[in-house]
Amino acid sequence: MTDKVLEFEQVAIRLGGREILSPTSLAVGHGEFVCVIGPSGCGKTTLLRAAAGFVTPSGGTVRRNGRAVTGPSREVAFVFQDYGRALLPWRTVRGNVSLALEAARAEPLARAARIEQVLRTVGLSDHCDRFPAQLSGGMQQRVQIARCLAQQPTLMMMDEPFGALDAMTREALQDELARLAAEQGLTVMFVTHDLEEAIYLGDRVIALRASPSHGQPSLAAILDVPIPRPRSQLETKEHPDFLRLRRELYRYLGHA
Amino acid sequence: MHAHLDPSPPPRLARLRPAVFPVLVLGLLEAWARTIGHGSDAIAPPTAAIEALAGAMRDGSLLRGTAFTLGAAALGLVLGSLPGIAIGTVLGLSRRATAASFLSVELFRPIPSVALIPLAMLAFGFGLGMEVSVVAFATFWPMLILSQAAARQVEPGWLEVARALQLGRADRLTKVVLPAMVPRLFVALRLGVAIALVVAVTVEIAANPNGMGYAMMIAQQSLEPALMLAWLFWIGVVGYAVNAATLAMQRRVAARMGEVSK
Repeated sequence: MTDKVLEFEQVAIRLGGREILSPTSLAVGHGEFVCVIGPSGCGKTTLLRAAAGFVTPSGGTVRRNGRAVTGPSREVAFVFQDYGRALLPWRTVRGNVSLALEAARAEPLARAARIEQVLRTVGLSDHCDRFPAQLSGGMQQRVQIARCLAQQPTLMMMDEPFGALDAMTREALQDELARLAAEQGLTVMFVTHDLEEAIYLGDRVIALRASPSHGQPSLAAILDVPIPRPRSQLETKEHPDFLRLRRELYRYLGHA
Repeated sequence: MHAHLDPSPPPRLARLRPAVFPVLVLGLLEAWARTIGHGSDAIAPPTAAIEALAGAMRDGSLLRGTAFTLGAAALGLVLGSLPGIAIGTVLGLSRRATAASFLSVELFRPIPSVALIPLAMLAFGFGLGMEVSVVAFATFWPMLILSQAAARQVEPGWLEVARALQLGRADRLTKVVLPAMVPRLFVALRLGVAIALVVAVTVEIAANPNGMGYAMMIAQQSLEPALMLAWLFWIGVVGYAVNAATLAMQRRVAARMGEVSK
């Protein structure tokens, strides 16, 4: 299967003697937006970290573009949940985005042009010389997304990126992300604990169970989201499929 | 009838309020030294001390002594803190290095720096080298321990970002680890500055015939309490100024590094 960007083959993870993820198999196709959902402690972040190469699975293999993942790669951008710990406070918005390009050893001239471009994409052109502490949470998370875009990744891993933001900002950023992913043809793996966010953003939703220790596998369900794009906060959330999926996922997660 | 009473005194007078106590003490001291304590070997009237200070300023001894002490303290601080920060950073980043060095650090660190004066005197004789070496020894340890802690306490999230972006080793150190250590290094530096000055003056009082500490000793031994008090006062002023300068530098750097001041 060459159109699979990411393949999990019986991936199991144990950390400190505790089983975090029971053997799980799934695949993410090129240009697909996959949301991973589950209660806290279900291993969804760990799954994402294994896919990004931060964690080595204790069993099974993760393959990226057909090759086994052995560590982090510049092809994979990672958006961390806590923007305060992901942005360097002593670097301006521009400097933080620049870090990705400095790591890739980009030419200074090309660097400046690329920074301008990604900051325009996330709507931060007017704030490029400000420090993270001078920005709102939503803007800081945009800086992190801009830094990831500057990497020109084939894969974007997002770990509850909007979890700490207020509802209004969250919805605005969801729409921006959906637009960006479509425009740039990004493959996204997006972890969240918010059912509606998962359905609203995803082409597919992967639901994980709380504790694999009770003999049940981590993977609870993989659901397709057949809602057409572009989606909108009002209409999509009243779509019959949206309501059906929400009900189904709720059953899987809350009271399975 | 009577004028309206303003609850707060006029601002210009209010600003003088912290000076009331010192001025009162100086006044009493002046009165005491000029009456009951007349001819004391320890206490001279503050006005006489100021006169002595002006004299030392005129004949250049004040400038010479201050320059020597500050120069020796600064040089010692640089020679002590550069290796201290470098080794501390390495130890902070590597658990293996910490374990390997633990015994050596704990053996040498508790030696009081002034106890090294005899050894330094044998090695360097009187003068700058000996004073600088003792100051360097005294500042090396706190700088090492504090930079070790600073390196160990770098926000793990930032290190993870460095990993995610595949930053090279050198870039990781210069672009993430060291800048992240700066706030804690400044705490270390302020401590180091204070230690350097105290140790420099101590070495001059105990052994080295140079600088502010020695000048104060000579004034005491030649029964010139006014000059001795003048030096004591001046050492206080210098200490205050050095600390204020370090603080100002810390604020400037913090502002440049994106710390938003309230």
